[in-house]
Amino acid sequence: MNKHDPIVGRYVYVTCQGKTYRTFYEEAGEGIPLVCLHTAGADGREYRHQLCDADITSNFRVIAFDLPRHGKSLPPAGWHLEEDEYKLTTSFYSEFILEFCRALDLDKPVVMGQSMGGNICLDLALRYENEYSALIALEGCDYSPGWHIDPLHHPHIHGGEAVATSVFGLMAPESPDEYRWETWWYYAQGGPGVFKGDLYFYSVDSDFRDKVHKISGKVPVYFLTGEYDFACTPEMTMRTAEKVKNSECVIFGGGHFPSSEDPEKFKDVLMPILRKIIQNDPRHRGANARDWSARRVDGPSAGGRGAERSSDRRTIDL
Amino acid sequence: MSKYGSRKTIDLEWIERWARRVNDDRVMPRLGRFFNARFVLGVDDVDYLLHMRQGKVEKISEGLEPSDLGYEFALRAPASAWSKFSQKTPPPMFNDIWAMAHPLHRQLQIEGNQLTFWQNMRAMHWMLSLMREV
Repeated sequence: MNKHDPIVGRYVYVTCQGKTYRTFYEEAGEGIPLVCLHTAGADGREYRHQLCDADITSNFRVIAFDLPRHGKSLPPAGWHLEEDEYKLTTSFYSEFILEFCRALDLDKPVVMGQSMGGNICLDLALRYENEYSALIALEGCDYSPGWHIDPLHHPHIHGGEAVATSVFGLMAPESPDEYRWETWWYYAQGGPGVFKGDLYFYSVDSDFRDKVHKISGKVPVYFLTGEYDFACTPEMTMRTAEKVKNSECVIFGGGHFPSSEDPEKFKDVLMPILRKIIQNDPRHRGANARDWSARRVDGPSAGGRGAERSSDRRTIDL
Repeated sequence: MSKYGSRKTIDLEWIERWARRVNDDRVMPRLGRFFNARFVLGVDDVDYLLHMRQGKVEKISEGLEPSDLGYEFALRAPASAWSKFSQKTPPPMFNDIWAMAHPLHRQLQIEGNQLTFWQNMRAMHWMLSLMREV
């Protein structure tokens, strides 16, 4: 007998900043719309476990789309004539998320994004607080410098392998090998220059340090960061959360790619947040709310050398 | 002993055991087929020069000499950092060379010809992870 995942994939046409993008998305479930944002240079497959989890999809319509140039969403026609390298901007990213939600007629969705998808949640809270009912920022913070570097897109370097290997160590060593190497594979499949271009948003164009205190608190923001994340450390997330009104912060024993690197551990920390979102939803859209058994949540855890000649130099031939 | 394990002494004998583990690895020949370079692993004030040929360590030298005619790149970090990195379960911020090299953490210096380093990063990453089995 054939086995299928419950995920259905489709394409929707999204117009943003004067161009129309044929945009791939996957979805499963019914209830509160939960729009999932992939990390830089990756695609919606990062959420395949959540899309297949009945504990989530019984209360949420889980939707994961691929940004233009990512996954199965193509670049805009004429991309080969672009005179500057691809750079994701804060305004495009934020507006595209909004236009995607409108294209699907989503009413006050919840947005859950990780890494750059977590950081953009801050902009969504600043610019579009009336459009969303809650924001879940995975591995998010107000400023994450240092990642927009040339070797990530260089003709003498294998982009896929270099990009994927660069992010591998962001995952917790105890996350299952199967899922860590699956995440590596997503990264190795990214288009040329796309990871680097996304990191323009992540490290250059999105310094929210002087803005986050302006978030009104109308939309609850849930921050969730793994202790092995060295790009967005627990301290960076906690420092950001302290400045954001109506926010919560959970630090757990994971890494930078919680949805894909260790879905079971992620579920432990995500479920209490989803339960709060269901309980606080004014229209009780999560009508199928289950009585989830209490799950364990990992508690907060929160020179001049070498050149001198040595007469008794030791050397080993192997 | 913490949950991350005890400290190790990173010396020439340890480097040799690691190099032999690298050379015995079954996956390394596939990943390192084109990895031909000489690089330095710096531990505190001591530089170890490793000669790589087709993904195998051919020779290790303790300290550098002018007749070495240089090397292509160097990874230098305090012994305490390498010791944490090489634990079976390394602690946060020491579990990866990029974690240690990140401007936020600054435990590891990557010097020299970064192009060669980036071109062979997959194999480098794999062989460094084998430190956890020494």
